Amino acid sequence: MTVLILTSEEDVTADMVVVHLNASGVPVVRLDPADLTGGVALSGEYVHGAFRGHLSSAGRLVSIEGLRSVWIRRPGTAAARAAVPSGWLTEEAGQALYGMLRGCDARWMNHPDAARRARHKPWQLRVAQRCGLPVPATLITTFPQAARDFADRYPDLVVKPVSGTHPQDPPRAVPTSRVAPDADFSAVAFGPTLLQRRVAKRADIRLTVVGERLLAARRATDAEAEVDVRFDTSDVPWCPVEVAPRVAEAVRAYMREAELAYGAFDFAEDADGTWWFLECNQSGQFGFIEVDTGQPIALGIAEWLARPASWRPSRVNGARAQVP
Amino acid sequence: MQPFALNYARPAAELEVSTPYVYDSGLQLNVLSDGRIAARDHALMRELGTTTSTAGSKTHFDD
Repeated sequence: MTVLILTSEEDVTADMVVVHLNASGVPVVRLDPADLTGGVALSGEYVHGAFRGHLSSAGRLVSIEGLRSVWIRRPGTAAARAAVPSGWLTEEAGQALYGMLRGCDARWMNHPDAARRARHKPWQLRVAQRCGLPVPATLITTFPQAARDFADRYPDLVVKPVSGTHPQDPPRAVPTSRVAPDADFSAVAFGPTLLQRRVAKRADIRLTVVGERLLAARRATDAEAEVDVRFDTSDVPWCPVEVAPRVAEAVRAYMREAELAYGAFDFAEDADGTWWFLECNQSGQFGFIEVDTGQPIALGIAEWLARPASWRPSRVNGARAQVP
Repeated sequence: MQPFALNYARPAAELEVSTPYVYDSGLQLNVLSDGRIAARDHALMRELGTTTSTAGSKTHFDD
């Protein structure tokens, strides 16, 4: 049975997993939905009470019923590179591809429904609270006065996008940033604003979860470091770090509630050693951690994807993404 | 009328870096000009930063 990987060609991080799958002799088909209907083709028929479907890409033909797992890594927008792309064609191609795949028995990393829900950062904060992870005091509001009151209670704040996305018109990045003490919060009225108590961190923590496997990495920071680790140009390497049992238990509870098979958690470690939950990226990058730490994240993903499709999770709400 | 968070926006990082590897659809892997598999060269990947968590990217909506 085959592992299907949906990602872009330039995704060299996915290559790290493909290498392991190749070494173990597990068949792989990798394609980018953006190449529908050019380099990628599909067909499925529902006849006599049964379904038979196929995908083809770069000369490979795979039966959809013959998939053991589907890894949604960095897929492009369906049919984005079609000869005559359009919003309508994207919708048609996406419905055809993901609609057929949803009907198969393959295991997902991560299921599209779970992935879509997991991208909501406000939802992440609530799940983290429920699972017992420390969450910095946070306010999401369009009320300027609520922001002012929050700033009175928590004078040292950061602001970050609620969605985690960045404006593209024109292209800009909106990093997590410290809010000036004398900030004018009037503009809070013009868009939902996420304010959070700044954690005076001594280290950034990246905890990568693959199934039941937890691999944490730590990078020490200094007081003047960028608030947003993604913008930190520090050349301090990431190092492996143990996960406290209490944190591990809470993270596993989060993964179960989110119905995720893969997640990359960001924490800020304070002076007391407490790991404060910041977010969980359901498709977060892992290559840079593996390169620094040597942690076998790609191997773990490959092993998870390579498991037989006959295995079924105990929960029945359709995600089929979990590991027992 | 600009939302508060955009007061902290920066120009997006230029991520269209030139990479010394190309995708081989037969191998389903990116390969270097000498035929080696790029993903096996961790030093190169570290140098290029193509596996990093990078804000402001059009492609990396999940960092």
